[in-house]
Amino acid sequence: MSDVATTEPRVQAEPSQGGRANPFLLVPITLFFLLLGLAVLRSPSLMTSFGIGSAVIVATPLILATYALMASVISGRGTVDLSIGPLIGFVNVTLIQLYGAGVLQNPISIFLYAIVIGGLYQFIFALIVIYVRVQPIIVSLSGYLALSGINLVILPRPGGVAPQFMADWGLGTSIFSPVFVILVLATIAWLLFTRTAFYTHLRLMGSDERAAYTSGVPIYVVRIGAHVISGGFAGLAAIAFTALISSGDPSQGTTYTLIAVTALVLGGASLAGGRASVFGSFLGAVNLYLITFVLATFNFGAVQSFVTNLAYGSILVASLLLTLIIPFIQRHIHNFSPVLYFVVLGVVALGVILHATNDYDPRARSQPVEEVVAVAPLEPIAPERLYVGPLEVAQPTATDAVLRAEAAPLILSALLLIVIAVFVRLAVSQSDRKTIAPAVAVVLAALVLFGAYLMRGDGSPAPAAGQTEETR
Amino acid sequence: MSATSTLPKLGLPATIIGLIAGIILTAIGVVFGFLQGLSVQFIILSAIATLAAFVWAWRFVIGQFVSDTPPPAEGEISEARRVWLKFRPAIYGLIVILGLFLILSLTIEGFFNVWNVVSLLIILTIIVLTRTLGRHFQENRSAFIGVMVLSGLFSIGSMNIDGFASANNIKSMLLFASFLGIASVGQTLVALLGGLDLSIPFIIGAANVGLLYLIGLGVPPWLAAIIVLVIGAILGVINGLLSYRLQGQALIVTLGTGFAISGGVQIVTSIGTAYGGNVFGTVPAWLSNLAAMNGSTFGLPVPPVIAIWLLIAIILIAGMRLTSYGRYLYALGVNRTSADRVMVSELGYWVSMYAVSGFFAALTGGLLLGWSGGGFIGVGDQYLFLTLAAVVVGGTSLLGGQGGYGFTVIGVLVLQVLSSFLIGIGLDFEWQQFIFGLLILPMVALYARSPHIRTQI
Repeated sequence: MSDVATTEPRVQAEPSQGGRANPFLLVPITLFFLLLGLAVLRSPSLMTSFGIGSAVIVATPLILATYALMASVISGRGTVDLSIGPLIGFVNVTLIQLYGAGVLQNPISIFLYAIVIGGLYQFIFALIVIYVRVQPIIVSLSGYLALSGINLVILPRPGGVAPQFMADWGLGTSIFSPVFVILVLATIAWLLFTRTAFYTHLRLMGSDERAAYTSGVPIYVVRIGAHVISGGFAGLAAIAFTALISSGDPSQGTTYTLIAVTALVLGGASLAGGRASVFGSFLGAVNLYLITFVLATFNFGAVQSFVTNLAYGSILVASLLLTLIIPFIQRHIHNFSPVLYFVVLGVVALGVILHATNDYDPRARSQPVEEVVAVAPLEPIAPERLYVGPLEVAQPTATDAVLRAEAAPLILSALLLIVIAVFVRLAVSQSDRKTIAPAVAVVLAALVLFGAYLMRGDGSPAPAAGQTEETR
Repeated sequence: MSATSTLPKLGLPATIIGLIAGIILTAIGVVFGFLQGLSVQFIILSAIATLAAFVWAWRFVIGQFVSDTPPPAEGEISEARRVWLKFRPAIYGLIVILGLFLILSLTIEGFFNVWNVVSLLIILTIIVLTRTLGRHFQENRSAFIGVMVLSGLFSIGSMNIDGFASANNIKSMLLFASFLGIASVGQTLVALLGGLDLSIPFIIGAANVGLLYLIGLGVPPWLAAIIVLVIGAILGVINGLLSYRLQGQALIVTLGTGFAISGGVQIVTSIGTAYGGNVFGTVPAWLSNLAAMNGSTFGLPVPPVIAIWLLIAIILIAGMRLTSYGRYLYALGVNRTSADRVMVSELGYWVSMYAVSGFFAALTGGLLLGWSGGGFIGVGDQYLFLTLAAVVVGGTSLLGGQGGYGFTVIGVLVLQVLSSFLIGIGLDFEWQQFIFGLLILPMVALYARSPHIRTQI
C-alpha cells in the first residue's frame, strides 16, 4: 500500500487481514450514498428505467475518462494526463468528420478507429516520457494545448452528425442501452486486468520506480502498456461521448480533463502513483454526476451554474480533507471492509429509495389526477407498526400488504445474512488474538440466528424484526 | 567559446558523410528552387547558404565531440556510430527541422525565399549554439537557451513581419507579457516549493468581477482595490492552509478552491441584480491609465503596468538571491528535512507563498479590469495553463528548489514573442495553440531532462 503524498504522519498501517481492504474507499462510498439518498429524495424520477438510463448515458463518458486517467496515473512519476479531455475531443471530431466524409461507416471500424487513435496517442506519449525523459505533466500540458488547438482546426464549431446507430444510443430510454454494455465491459476488462502480473508490476512501478527497476521489472514495457491501456479507455470514452452529444464538439471534450482528474481524486486514487481502484474511480465519477444532478433539482434561477461551481469545489476540497483522517481510522479499525460497508450503506439507501419512490414523494403521488394520499391523517399507530412507522407516511393498500407479506422473508433473510457477515468477519479478524472475542462473536451470531428463527415461527411482522436486528 | 577557438580536424569518414549529406540537401533545395521558378541569384545564394550552414553545423557537432573526449581506444566501435550515439538528440532535431523545411518548401507556394532560408539558418544556429555553448552555462542553462530562443524569434519575426519590431508592437507585447508575468509570480514561488496553484485563473476572474462590483456599489475605487487585494491574499492563505497537509494533491485542492471562489463571487455579485453574474460599472480613469495601451507613466508613453512588472521582477529577483528569507525558500524546496533542521518553518513558507500567489492573481485581475474596462469572470481562463507554461518554459522545475522568477520572466517573454509572431504570420488562435503545445516540449527537453533511471539508484 503506497500512501506517499497524502499521509503526512506515515502511519504504519498494519496489513489488514481482510486482504483487499482499501480504507480510501471510505470517503467515496459515504459520499455516494449521501448523494444518492439526497438525489432520490429530491427527484424520485431518477429511480425509473428512464432516469437510470439517462444517468448512464450522461455519466458513462466521465466514468470511462476516469478509467483512462486511472491507468496512466497508477504508473507513477506524477503522470496526471491533462490531455485526456482534448484527446476525447480529438477522437470525437475526427470521427464525425471521417463519418461525414464517408470513410468510417461500419460500427466495428468506428470502434477500432477510436481505440487505435487513443492507444496511438498514448503510445507516443509514453515514448516521449521514456526516451526524451521530460516530466509527464509537461508532456500532457503540451498535448493539451496542441490537441485542443487542432480540434478547433478540424471542426471549428460544434456540428456534424453522428452515425445513426450511435445517435439512437444517446436517447437513454432504458437501462440496458449499448452504452451501458460498453461501461460494463470496460469495467470487467479492468477487473480482469488487475488479475494479471502486469498489473502488479504496474503498481510496483507506480509506488517506487527504482525498486521496480532494480527488481527486474521491465519498466519501459510496463509504462508503454499502461499508457496504451489508458488510450484504449480514452477511445471508448470518446465513443460514449459521441453517443451522448450525437454530433461533434471541439471544445466540450476538453472540459473532461478537470472533471476526470477530480473524479479520480474523489475516488481515492493517489496522484503520486501506485494506488487507484476501479471501484473508487467509478464511485468518484458517479458522485460528480450526482452532485450536478442534485443541484439541478434545486431551482436557483440565474445563479444555478455558480452554485454548482461552489458546491463542486467545496465538496472536492472537503472530501480531500476527509482523506486526512483515514490514518486515524486505520489506527483504530484494523479491518475495514469496503464491500461490507458498501452493503450496509446500500441497505439503508435502498430503504430511502423505496421510501422516496413509494411513500414519501408528494409530487409523484399528486401529479396523477387521483386524490392526494401523500399526507396521511393522524391515526393511532398499531403497536407492531411502530417500528416502521417513522419511515412511512402513506397508507398501505391491500396489495401493498400482500406484497409486504411476500417480501418479508426475503428482507429478513437479507438482513440476517448481513448481520451474520458482520459477525463472521469479526470472528475471522479477531481469530489470531488470544482473546475471547471470536467466541463471543460466534455465540452472538448464533443467538441472532436463533432469535430470528423464533420470530419467524412466531409469525410476527418480519421487517420489524429485521429493523431491530440492524439497529443493534 | 572554447569550442570555437579549438576547432579540431575531423576524421575522414565523418567529413565525407557530412559533405555528401550537405550536397544532397543543397541539390534538393536547388531543384525545388528551379521548380518554383525563382530567380537564379536567389537559388545560388540559398544553395550556398544551405551548404555552408550544414557543413558548419556538422563540423561543430563532430568537432565538439572530438574536443570533449580523449581519443578513443582503437577498434571499439566505428566513429560514425559513436557520433550517432553521442549526439542522437541533436541530430534528430537537425533532421526533423531540415525535413520540415523541405516539406514546407514543397507544399507551400513561394515558401522558399531568402527570408525563410535566413530564418532556418537562425534556428540552426540556435540549436548548434545551445548544444555547444550551453554546456558552459550549467547553472543558468535554461536562461541562456531562453535568451537565445528569444533573440532568434525576435530577429526572425522582425525580418518576416512588417511592423514586428515597431515601437507600438513592442509596447503591446510588453503589456500582455506584464499581465502574464504578474500572474506567474505566484505560480513560480509555489513551484519552487514543489506545489502548484491552479486557483490563479479563478482568482483573477473573481477579482476582475469583484472589483467592478465594489466600485459599482459606491465604494471609493482605491479602497475597493485594497479590499480586493487583501481578499486575494486571504484566499491564498486559505489555499495554503488547506493544501499544506495535502501537498501531493495541491493541484486538485487549489482547483477545488478555485471553483468555489469563482462560484461564490458570482453568487455574491448577482444577489440583488437581475443580470445574473454580469456586472456593470465604470472603471476609474486612473485604473484604465494603469493598464491601457495609451497609458503613460510620469509623462512617458508607456503603460504603468509594464513599470510595475519591472519593479516586481527586480524586487523578487534581488530578494530571492540576496535575502536569507529568499534563500530559505530554495532550501525548503530542495530538501524539507534539512530545511527543518535549520529552523525554517515549512508551514509558514507554504502558506505565505500561496498568499503571495493569491495577492498577485488578484492584482492581475484588477489590472485586467483596467485594460478591458468591463468585468468578466472568464478573463483569467487562459492563464490556467499559460502561467504553468511560462514557469516551465522558463526553466523552473515543478519539483521545487530550482529556478527563480528571472527564469519565469524569460519564459513569459518567449511565450509572448512567440504568440505575437504566430499572429503576425497570420495564424488563427487554434493554430497558435497547437504550435504552442508542440513547442513547449522541445524547449523543455533542451534543459529539463531528468536523468536515466539507472543513474538514480
